Amino acid sequence: MLHLLRIDLKKLTSYRTFWVVCGLYFLTLAFTTASGMEFLKWLASKGTQFGTTLNINRIPLYHFPDVWQNLVFISGFFKIVLAIMVVISITNEFTYRTIRQNIIDGLSRWQFLQSKILTNLLLSLMSVVMVFIIGLVTGLIYSPEINLGYIFTDLEFFPAYFLEVFAFLSYALMLGLLVQRSGLTIIILMLSHMIEAIIKVNIPDRAEFLKVFFPMESISNLVPMPFARYAFQEIQDYVSLGSVAIALVWIFLFNYFGYRKLQKSDI
Amino acid sequence: METVLSTQKLTKNFGRLRAVNQLDLEVKRGQVFGMLGPNGSGKTTTLGMLMGVVNPSSGSFSLFGQAATNELRKKIGAVLEHPIFYPYLSGQKNLELTAMIKGATADQITKVLHVVELTDRQEDKYRTYSLGMKQRLAIASALLSDPVVLILDEPTNGLDPMGIAEIRQIIKKIAADGKTIILASHLLDEVQKVCSHFAILRKGNLVHSGPVDEVGKGEETVEVLAYHDDLSVLLQEFSGTQSLVKENVNYVVKMKDGFHSQDLNRFLFEKGIVASHLVTQKKSLEKQFLEILAEEESKKQKV
Repeated sequence: MLHLLRIDLKKLTSYRTFWVVCGLYFLTLAFTTASGMEFLKWLASKGTQFGTTLNINRIPLYHFPDVWQNLVFISGFFKIVLAIMVVISITNEFTYRTIRQNIIDGLSRWQFLQSKILTNLLLSLMSVVMVFIIGLVTGLIYSPEINLGYIFTDLEFFPAYFLEVFAFLSYALMLGLLVQRSGLTIIILMLSHMIEAIIKVNIPDRAEFLKVFFPMESISNLVPMPFARYAFQEIQDYVSLGSVAIALVWIFLFNYFGYRKLQKSDI
Repeated sequence: METVLSTQKLTKNFGRLRAVNQLDLEVKRGQVFGMLGPNGSGKTTTLGMLMGVVNPSSGSFSLFGQAATNELRKKIGAVLEHPIFYPYLSGQKNLELTAMIKGATADQITKVLHVVELTDRQEDKYRTYSLGMKQRLAIASALLSDPVVLILDEPTNGLDPMGIAEIRQIIKKIAADGKTIILASHLLDEVQKVCSHFAILRKGNLVHSGPVDEVGKGEETVEVLAYHDDLSVLLQEFSGTQSLVKENVNYVVKMKDGFHSQDLNRFLFEKGIVASHLVTQKKSLEKQFLEILAEEESKKQKV
């Protein structure tokens, strides 16, 4: 297993695009998630101009345990960058035809796919670690009192975030295997949410209950939007087991479809 | 002798096109096996099936007498069509990657780079290589795991004469080590120069298979020139003559089975004629190849 991961990492670590994209991903992720207070200050100054006052100290953006769900939710938007990297990595194998040589050299098709899935797992794990560290640091800075009980509350959002990123990367990998051309794959990937939204709008009311089973919807449902709570609204501040189950099924299906396609086609 | 590779009724359809049709092939250990055929005759498709990248439509094949697995493929070094590598990696890094897949050691890399004389350029990115260097790197990567069998598909395609000579030299060197080599090519003299056995494919069908030595056996053809007015009449009288044609100034005698050029020479001498030119034409693989294809063609027309 580890051997297969090392093979794929060997391909990536000497590829400059990989470092640039991953660098951009982790930098924007870090800056965006860490600059929430600056954003609130800017919002408050704008508000003053219009005569409303916004007491930013009353919005506990970075207070434990709020910080976990807030950061994880925001970080979810950046997974598209990693997914594009995954698309480039798999479609390159088709444009350079190196997948063919890998298999001639003695990898099985399943082993080849495993090496890509393992990289997806690693990238998801690194995202989790990154967001956890940012959350911990900002939380320690901004929380008025450090309470271990609060710090360890709501940590379930991290496994949910892990599933969210991994499910989306699995989807990107499957698209890459099916389409095999980088440009087209990236376009489909970026439009996926929109295409799904159009379909959802058009389903009849009595089939409304099906909406939660849609792939993109199920991925976003893992970590619900938390910010409405600062406008005194009720939010879902937990991870629902139902959405975890649906996401797990999709993760399996994405990778299985990729596997089927790879087994059946001539390379 | 141990069978390295065999196919049983191996067939591949691409849509309505039948690229390989019921192919039965057998390659034994130590052979240098040439696969001949015009472009598009199914050579690469056949090799692709053997190497696991093309799924056969029907039929089966075995490697080393066993059902093929990816582990068995590691014992085969293969280059199909063009060299394939990661353009952004150096030659060295590309080979390191292949070595990881094949389970070869790092000192093997140094060795094979030396064999193909790429040691000077190993740190340069693959995309900066010339075509000849790419071909050589491909041969190096095929040699990495010290394979029992080497499969080379058009290894001299697109090379200049010097490059061709270099690659041929490398193939001969490898063959001298006792490795089994399968060489697909449409270049006939290439096969004749390096192969011990050969097979001819045409539109996916196997039309001939046998040792290269046998080429040139069978009836002899002799070119004769002598200063005698009735030479053609005399040659017709010779009991070993099967047919006679005049080519330029020479007469070309196709001999009956069992007759040789020395018999003709003796006959002329007994008649008091001394030939000024007497050459036994060696049948080349090229001639044989064209003959076999022509035979196939006429057989088909009769049907």
